[in-house]
Amino acid sequence: MEQGEAGDLVKAAAQGDEAAWRVLVERFSSLVWAVARSFRLSTADASDVYQTVWLRFAEHLGRIQNPERVGAWLATTARRESIRVVRSRSRALPIEDATLADLVPPDETSPELAVLDAEQARLETDRAKQMWRAFRDLPVRCQQLLRILMASQRPSYVEAAAALDVPVGSIGPTRARCLRQLRRLMNEVSGNDSQPHTKKRDQLGDDRAGSA
Amino acid sequence: MPDQPDDNEVEERLREIIDRLDPVPERLLAAALDSYTWRTVDSELAELVLDSVAEDQAALVRGREDVRLLSFEASGLTIDIQVSSSGQGRRIVGQLAPPGPASVQIRQGSGVTDLDADELGRFRGPLRDGPFSLKCSAGEERTRSVVTDWITI
Repeated sequence: MEQGEAGDLVKAAAQGDEAAWRVLVERFSSLVWAVARSFRLSTADASDVYQTVWLRFAEHLGRIQNPERVGAWLATTARRESIRVVRSRSRALPIEDATLADLVPPDETSPELAVLDAEQARLETDRAKQMWRAFRDLPVRCQQLLRILMASQRPSYVEAAAALDVPVGSIGPTRARCLRQLRRLMNEVSGNDSQPHTKKRDQLGDDRAGSA
Repeated sequence: MPDQPDDNEVEERLREIIDRLDPVPERLLAAALDSYTWRTVDSELAELVLDSVAEDQAALVRGREDVRLLSFEASGLTIDIQVSSSGQGRRIVGQLAPPGPASVQIRQGSGVTDLDADELGRFRGPLRDGPFSLKCSAGEERTRSVVTDWITI
């Protein structure tokens, strides 16, 4: 979606055009969800942030200063609300539902893969699990950026920068560095496939950013 | 390595995994579409100007009770609220400034709750889970209406 087109949709929605609202929601829904998830929010908390952002957006439709930058506005609002929830949850009881890190790729028995033959399905599953494991071993900042860029409606770098509150110019280089690290972790994992995973690998965690 | 996948290939594979693993839940997409119906065209917007969670982290550590203070401001009207959570659920206690009687509505996805602010601008009521916004109608004929930003507690 061009910026001009997005701006026109915001203006139309502000004047009562519900079809324009629908297009905006469908275009930016995955971005808002991705930002909340990138802050490692549980499904319940991410749901609250997601709904708050859209409700607030509806109320702000006619008041947004740069309607053509609506994606960045939504990303910024999602970031602020996510941080608010992270802070308020630090003293509340933990909610026992899944954050991004708790998700596990489905097994070959899952319906999505049932159409593939058994051997092919097993390979697909193994590849997905290997990549997912590597993703979760990335430094937090890399996981966060990649989760945002992986929104199913791919965001612009301007929107990703708003979601992370970093300069636009940093997104490209950081993406390249994070993907390089992801590839390296995948190679490590596949190189060690015959051996059990050592504890050391799991403990490296976020410190890996410094050695990149 | 000759068959090393490039950045875009890796990214596309990761995107497929995440698409399958963590899509936007259907019911949320429906809720986002519905948000449009909450839009008010004739109300002034009171924006969030103070949130105890954002302002004072130390207080969170000190405080034993689960209390959140929020302040919303429109031109000429301030709405201060305190949200407390206990085993019995959540409650809002609010104060309008300048003080005076008003109709106050708690708006939530699951419905609305109508309250009255007394002569001193005080009101109280129950709060369900999920985002909420307040709508205050003040003045002789309840003609002046203000809605607050939506917020999650």
